[in-house]
Amino acid sequence: MEPAVSFEGLAYRYRGQQKPALKGVDVEVAEGEFVVVMGPSGAGKSTLCVSLNGLIPHFFKGKMEGEVRVRGRSTREGKVGEFAQEVGLVFQDFEAQLFSTNVALEVAFGPENFAVEREEMVRRVESVLGQVRLEGFENRTPATLSGGQKQRLAIASVLAIEPRILCLDEPTTDLDPIGKLGIFEIAEDLKDRDDVTLIVVEHETEETLDADRIIVLREGEIVADRPAREVLRDVELLQESSVMPLQVTRYFHERGLWQGQLPLTPEEGVAEFKRRGWRVSPERHQKLVEADAKRKEGYGDSVIEVEGLTYRYPNGVVALEGVDLTVRRGEFLAVLGQNGSGKTTLVKHFNGLLKPTEGTVRVGGEETTKQGLRRLGQTVGYVFQNPDHQIFSDTVFDEVAFGPKIRGMEEDETKEQVEEALAAVSLQGRGDEDPFGLTKGERQRVAVASVLAVRPEVLILDEPTTGLDYAEQRSMMDLVKSLNEAGSTIIAVTHTMWVVAEYAHRAVVVRDGRVALQGTVREIFAEEDELRDASLRSPHIVSFGNALGYPVLSVEEMLKVTEEG
Amino acid sequence: MDPSLYLDRDTWVHRLDPRTKMFLLLGMFALPFVFLNPLYVLGVLALVLYFGYLAESLVNLRRIWFILFMIIVVTPILWSIVGSGRTPLFLFVEREALLYGLSTAQRIVITVIAGMIFLSTTRNEEVAIGLVRLGIPYRFAFAVSTALRLVPTIVATGLTIGQAQRSRGLDLESGNIIQRIRKHLPLLVPVFVTTVRSTNVFSMALESKGFGARPGRTFYLHTAMGRRDALVLIAFVVLLAGCIALRVAGYGGLEGFTR
Repeated sequence: MEPAVSFEGLAYRYRGQQKPALKGVDVEVAEGEFVVVMGPSGAGKSTLCVSLNGLIPHFFKGKMEGEVRVRGRSTREGKVGEFAQEVGLVFQDFEAQLFSTNVALEVAFGPENFAVEREEMVRRVESVLGQVRLEGFENRTPATLSGGQKQRLAIASVLAIEPRILCLDEPTTDLDPIGKLGIFEIAEDLKDRDDVTLIVVEHETEETLDADRIIVLREGEIVADRPAREVLRDVELLQESSVMPLQVTRYFHERGLWQGQLPLTPEEGVAEFKRRGWRVSPERHQKLVEADAKRKEGYGDSVIEVEGLTYRYPNGVVALEGVDLTVRRGEFLAVLGQNGSGKTTLVKHFNGLLKPTEGTVRVGGEETTKQGLRRLGQTVGYVFQNPDHQIFSDTVFDEVAFGPKIRGMEEDETKEQVEEALAAVSLQGRGDEDPFGLTKGERQRVAVASVLAVRPEVLILDEPTTGLDYAEQRSMMDLVKSLNEAGSTIIAVTHTMWVVAEYAHRAVVVRDGRVALQGTVREIFAEEDELRDASLRSPHIVSFGNALGYPVLSVEEMLKVTEEG
Repeated sequence: MDPSLYLDRDTWVHRLDPRTKMFLLLGMFALPFVFLNPLYVLGVLALVLYFGYLAESLVNLRRIWFILFMIIVVTPILWSIVGSGRTPLFLFVEREALLYGLSTAQRIVITVIAGMIFLSTTRNEEVAIGLVRLGIPYRFAFAVSTALRLVPTIVATGLTIGQAQRSRGLDLESGNIIQRIRKHLPLLVPVFVTTVRSTNVFSMALESKGFGARPGRTFYLHTAMGRRDALVLIAFVVLLAGCIALRVAGYGGLEGFTR
């Protein structure tokens, strides 16, 4: 049978780039298959996606070699619009893809382009909204949907064209854990249909268990193309490719099991653990709990005090209600919650961007309303989620120097603080570079440095790891950890659960504008049911530990407490 | 915050064909310019407000009241200084110039409110269909409706970026005009970069959904000129003709105003 897609020696170099994005990719995808593509940032994963429907070579100008065939037809031979009916493409940035004034119109746009009759269109809108579980949302404005709902709508708008091949480029990057799950439930349904071929680019290993095959790309080349469970057991290959290995799998790998025996999920892990007669040492586990308590004693006095905070938007919608919270010097606090739960609204009160409707927020003992935004910025630095929302200078140095300069600091002193900040984020000596030429991970670091340059006591980070690959996420969080150990108080808003488990000390779960849970990370992650109610999920290793009766936070901790029976 | 003005209500104004609404909008741009006397213009303003009330769109006034307020304050002052007339009022201000200023302020306010009502009752998609039904190529019609969409999107991006830069200590409120403009650089560069980037994704998404793949296309929204459209249009033409007749007969002018 003819393959759904075949790449024949595909090489591509974008115009103005020295390095090719893809070099000699040969791969076939059979009809009805579910293939996941993984690899580090810049490996060429998105390039692979846009070559599927002819955006390469028709939309992008660059140098293409080899062929891409969609059900036998070369993408060179037709316009993008012609291939759109065969290949549905959903991009990572779902915000930029949605443009209609209501959900039904968004879904109908594709069929409209193909001059589908109105009755048929109505049928399709109803059917695909059912498939992505957005029934009843027909008249909603896309802007009012949650992140997960928006991404599902983006998928529906492509499904309505009824393509035989569907390609999703990092569909879950910006979503909370339950939002991610929603996307993968859709993928699973589609997988069961023989007439739909699914190609998904994904960072999260936990979500790829159901794939038929995993292709690993590195520097434009395929380094692995094997059945999913086989690739997932190859811990070293994944680590070398900046992909996070499954935690349970890594645990057993580190314990010395050979590849073929490695369990993948927490359930498989628990069974294997028991079969081998291993056990958790209660004494060693107790030491972990004691270390948590000892760390707590080391904190200084309170730096941020929130009392009865209520925030109402000008249109009357309540975003926060009766929030009480204290942050002490030296803490590493994670603020968790579903998209739209109010967690960002909460932290925006800490540096004075928002003023409480009711209640008080005190920073350094003084109410935020009495301190200006600029003075507060001296105490509380805020790194926004998207570094591109703040970078504007021609050089990295100028960008980082913006804060000190605007506060009227002397040139020598500015220079000193900028150098110090750049060193803290491992960008020393790169002050003359153009920030727009850096990778996303590096731009993120520039954004952190530009906040560090005014030496704030408290650092707020909004989704610091979104859009970064595993290696970049690790190095970003190791940086944050070292800042914390050097004395900074850290507040991180995030929905990357393993980051919370491994790095944060304490967590607050915000749900519908209220604090639903707070405690040490170990305590929070032991409450798996409550977490699920807040659209959050524990990482695999935590679930594994919980199932054994001992909450652990990382693979390293689990290794530490394991005893052979 | 939803940056679009559209209000999803079910009033008879919403249900009018987009072409009818476009004609009404053009007509409402013309009507206040028939009269010079502020009292007559006030009548037109009352009519527009009543229409907005029927369309359940006046809540959007809350979002543009500041602009309207500035127009109402600044325009009469400006014309009192610039224009001249016969009857001295106080200092160098003449009665006719002030009245003319009042008329002009109301005219601008009427056009703004009419535009607001149009955008509150008409979806972007309907604007596009309306233009297509008037014989304009779909690509162009789509560009118009995209431009309408882009403005609120850019405003929303600008607000986020403003927060990011103010967090870093940017203070836009102080300094003279040139300093202030220079201070906007940290806002403009990221807004520009972000907009270009998302526009790029947007156009890829359009192509990937088959935009322009076929010469013809169908529309999900059902639009048709009906009896109500005809009645509304006839009523409006009669009104416009009546007003012009009134003016020709010598009512609603403003004697003695010169620039």
